[in-house]
Amino acid sequence: PICTALTTGRMTDDKDVLRDVWFGRIPTCFTLYQDEITEREAEPYYLLLPRVSYLTLVTDKVKKHFQKVMRQEDISEIWFEYEGTPLKWHYPIGLLFDLLASSSALPWNIIVHFKSFPEKDLLHCPSKDAIEAHFMSCVKEADALKHKSQVINEMQKKDHKQLWMGLQNDRFDQFWAINRKLMEYPAEENGFRYIPFRIYQTTTERPFIQKLFRPVAADGQLHTLGDLLKEVCPSALAPEDGEKKNQVMIHGIEPMLETPLQWLSEHLSYPDNFLHISIIPQPT
Amino acid sequence: MEEDEFFGEKTFQHFCAEFIKHSQQISDGWEWRTSKDCSEGYMCKTQFQMKPGTLVSHPGTSAHVQTCLPVEEALELPPDDFEVTETTAGSEVVKYEYHVLYSCSYQVPVLYFRASFLDGRPLALKDIWEGIHECYKSQLLQEPWDTITQQEHPVLGQPFFVLHPCKTNEFMTPVLENSRKINRSVNYITSWLSIVGPVVGLNLPLSYARTAS
Repeated sequence: PICTALTTGRMTDDKDVLRDVWFGRIPTCFTLYQDEITEREAEPYYLLLPRVSYLTLVTDKVKKHFQKVMRQEDISEIWFEYEGTPLKWHYPIGLLFDLLASSSALPWNIIVHFKSFPEKDLLHCPSKDAIEAHFMSCVKEADALKHKSQVINEMQKKDHKQLWMGLQNDRFDQFWAINRKLMEYPAEENGFRYIPFRIYQTTTERPFIQKLFRPVAADGQLHTLGDLLKEVCPSALAPEDGEKKNQVMIHGIEPMLETPLQWLSEHLSYPDNFLHISIIPQPT
Repeated sequence: MEEDEFFGEKTFQHFCAEFIKHSQQISDGWEWRTSKDCSEGYMCKTQFQMKPGTLVSHPGTSAHVQTCLPVEEALELPPDDFEVTETTAGSEVVKYEYHVLYSCSYQVPVLYFRASFLDGRPLALKDIWEGIHECYKSQLLQEPWDTITQQEHPVLGQPFFVLHPCKTNEFMTPVLENSRKINRSVNYITSWLSIVGPVVGLNLPLSYARTAS
């Protein structure tokens, strides 16, 4: 549904877009790493992963399934890998998939590890509190960009808690009851102060590009996705009369470059209020 | 990019350059690094310390003092002036790396750091927490997730510990206001680092303060 709306430019009910983003799922097959020590054969485990959530938040069942065939002493912190790349649990699931696996056939095949935690590559995830702290830290940073932290700081602790509980329990209405306030802006402005975004590419050393960028130009024109890329990541765009080398992907789709950035920020942000944008090679 | 705030990226780079100039004069070890694919950079320094939790006691005092001494200072104490009454078994040398980056979201500098033993084994968050200076512990105990957390280094992409930047403006504003009052210009980075550094074992020699910015 988002596909049609954004690639043909046909107007669609904005609320539907929010729901489609929230309920996006990726069919995934989890397989235990072959060198893990098991007492009997471990069957793969299939799960639909929510694009907007985090791996360590939604894989309790996966952990339990594999721990059933292992001895306690062979189990330490769980971590996930795709085609040799350790998966960063602190990146949203949809971002990881778009960036690393979107050109491959479904289901997404993830390997599960219980030993040799890659200390140099991955953050530890000692508890659900760590995920909550990370999530809230991103939400706060996004609001620092959008509203100089005024909206998030005005909220009570229970509102912050509601954002987290909404995400954790997959409760769209509970989440958006609070999040809608983070999507407002003063009547006299045409948008947020700066747009919270991060652009990811596997080909660079740097994990992502994040810069200050306003949604509205000095003359009052709304900046587009194309304007953003031209300014902060020009290599992502095809040269004037050259061939398209890359896909610019958010939530598994390629929005038209003419889409206003303010609209994208309000409708295609992840629950952390950031636009996480993947630049991937055009599949042949 | 946009720089309508008083502490934009260019200002950050300027103060860091001044800071590093002085560091070079006193061989304090700070360097500037840039990543291959962008113009932004950061300051960094490596230092070696005794692992937090090493207990060193002076004769005549009954209290055990938890310290985080730079290795050179610990070794310089003449043997008959102090008596090691207790050390944790196998106290070890820890390598600390400190990185000062600019946060465009909060428009303040941010202190990233990581610690490992000489064999490469990293220190865990709980070891870091235990090594925090006594006077900061009470704040940390109340809200541990608010102050020091493990995060991805935005340029290197590797796990580092971070002192959270959202309270920076709170403590820097009085410093800057005071410097305006007494009409003496101040290097923002020097002032900021002299406040946050000691929390995590990073101390600045006093000569930084005497340098005009």
